[in-house]
Amino acid sequence: MIEPAGEPQSAGGAPETSSPRHTIELRGVSKRYRGTEALAPLDLEIRDGEFFCLLGPSGCGKTTTLNLIGGFVEATSGEIVIQGENVTNVPPHQRNVNTVFQSYALFPHLTVRDNVAFGLKMSRVPARESEVRTRDALELVRLTDYADYYPAQLSGGQQQRVAVARALVNRPAVLLLDEPLGALDLKLRKQLQVELARIHRDVGTTFVFVTHDQEEAMAMADRIAVMNSGRIEQVGTPEEIYARPSSRFVADFVGESNFFEVERRGDGTVVTAGGSPVPCSMGASSDWSRATLMVRPEAIRFAAHKGEHLCLEGEVLQSSFLGSFTRVAIACADTQAPVLATLPYGKRHRQELRVESTVSFTWDPEDAVVLDLQQA
Amino acid sequence: MTSSAGQAEAVVRGAGAIRARPRAVLTSRLGEYAGFGPVLLLFGGFFFAPLVLIIAYSFWQVIDYNVVQNWTLDNYRYFLSVPTYVRTFIATLWMTALATVLTIGIAFPFAYWLTRYVSRSWQRPLLLLVIIPFWTSYLLRVASWITILGEGGVVNRTLEALGLIHQPLSFLLYNRWAVIFVLVYLYFPFAALTLFSALERFDWNQLKAAMDLGAPPLTAIWRIMLPQIRPGVITAVIFVFIPILGEYLTPQLVGGVDGVMIGNLVVNFFVGAQYTRGAAIALLITAIAVAMLILFRRSLVLEQVYGR
Repeated sequence: MIEPAGEPQSAGGAPETSSPRHTIELRGVSKRYRGTEALAPLDLEIRDGEFFCLLGPSGCGKTTTLNLIGGFVEATSGEIVIQGENVTNVPPHQRNVNTVFQSYALFPHLTVRDNVAFGLKMSRVPARESEVRTRDALELVRLTDYADYYPAQLSGGQQQRVAVARALVNRPAVLLLDEPLGALDLKLRKQLQVELARIHRDVGTTFVFVTHDQEEAMAMADRIAVMNSGRIEQVGTPEEIYARPSSRFVADFVGESNFFEVERRGDGTVVTAGGSPVPCSMGASSDWSRATLMVRPEAIRFAAHKGEHLCLEGEVLQSSFLGSFTRVAIACADTQAPVLATLPYGKRHRQELRVESTVSFTWDPEDAVVLDLQQA
Repeated sequence: MTSSAGQAEAVVRGAGAIRARPRAVLTSRLGEYAGFGPVLLLFGGFFFAPLVLIIAYSFWQVIDYNVVQNWTLDNYRYFLSVPTYVRTFIATLWMTALATVLTIGIAFPFAYWLTRYVSRSWQRPLLLLVIIPFWTSYLLRVASWITILGEGGVVNRTLEALGLIHQPLSFLLYNRWAVIFVLVYLYFPFAALTLFSALERFDWNQLKAAMDLGAPPLTAIWRIMLPQIRPGVITAVIFVFIPILGEYLTPQLVGGVDGVMIGNLVVNFFVGAQYTRGAAIALLITAIAVAMLILFRRSLVLEQVYGR
């Protein structure tokens, strides 16, 4: 197996301390391309051995961030520190970082074995050691039998694994992965997500993974940085990001969400634009008057009877049975977009969810996330 | 590797089966091939027949300005026995080699720059600029260098006007270096276009990947890019080397006494009605060109080696 990079002390399974060592630190790093800001000055710390995900729509700066760490793009300002060493001005071939490219960029004129051994050859690793490490790397990605094949003779998934082996064989401090599963079909992608997570566990190297697919990020990452127009909106574990999104963008980008524009009245009740009172845990705090409430579809529950306290009413637009859950879209006077609700399979509902029937629904106060707080 | 070779075999066998036809159809074959007539006539009459004639000539003799069919190796022996001819032959080889290296050496960075750093919308106009000289006759393109490099030419006049020289520089023209210089100018577009189309298909991420794996930029170009564009580079070498080998107009116009190439000898012999000796030299040139094609044959089909 490939040894994890870095100091051995972190590899011994020592319990995580309150301030884990950072493999990568970005301090005020920004990037401008001919006057346009691709990346606003950003601070980011990526911990030793974690699977870190940069998530965001195209053009949000996630690939720029990856290229900055890899050294393919020069920072306009700020500094990049990898394993305590300032590498801001170090060219890519001298950084202890390796990349799995979106297109894999395998060398078509070299066999799988020579592709994997290329990095070792470049760093002049002795032939005998190179042979052993190459074999181990191919074993890690389960491609031992394909060592003498050329990349063109492999399937997309196999090529992707060669790219992972080719990068990891160099024992980098950090493995950068630039949407490595983007070109694969859904089923294979799910398979390789599991595979990548296993490889990460096996080698313990820090992984920085770029994707626009929130599901992929949630499935694999220890922590996620959600990016939008050159800024990091939120950094946190998948659970934190899903349960407590810090902005409307994050809530919208990660998972499905319902938004309610609300106002806080003097008596502490929170009401929608249409004047209906709704459940909200922040009603007691008096430092705001306007906000957006975000409620996940699975937090929406249907009221026991019409006219229940703190309920909204609406007309069922569509009800789709999707196997493990049923998805209901409700036209509601208090929101612009239809309210989405998901109901797990097998759970009984007191109201009939026929299309065009009127339903009343609500949520628990702690399930409503308050965003964009504004003073009067 | 083995499984794909097996597959390839199966494909070949399959194709063979399709090609085999019932006997009845064979009678109409002649009709099918009629379409090749004009091509066969053209190639047979204007390429194959003259080639055979030249080969035959090189083993015959000229007696009293008449070609006589006496089979002999005298023409080759004569050529090798005259030191000046042998020297010209050797000079031609190194001039051609040097001109080829220089042409590729200038065209490669140009093509690299054009494909990598120039936006798509500017690539075509710039390539057009490379091709524009072809709108002028070949003879004029060579001759124009005389007005640029000659004693009363642009370069000398400018330097004199600037007061940098008082006598025109005479080494600019009528020597081997002038020939090589003009040849590089003449053949640059061939190399640039060929290399451009090779580089256009190159995946630049490959260089990025090589550098990511620790290769310094030049190593990445040498070990990752060049092997992949080798067919293009070799095509460029062939496109440049072979025509230069047979050049006679450029040395004639800008070479002076010193810049003579083997092509000039061929012309001289034919003009002097020594057809058989001229034929022998022409065949020597052809032999070198053929030898080079054989040498590069494997590299040209490299793409098949890794099955793209």
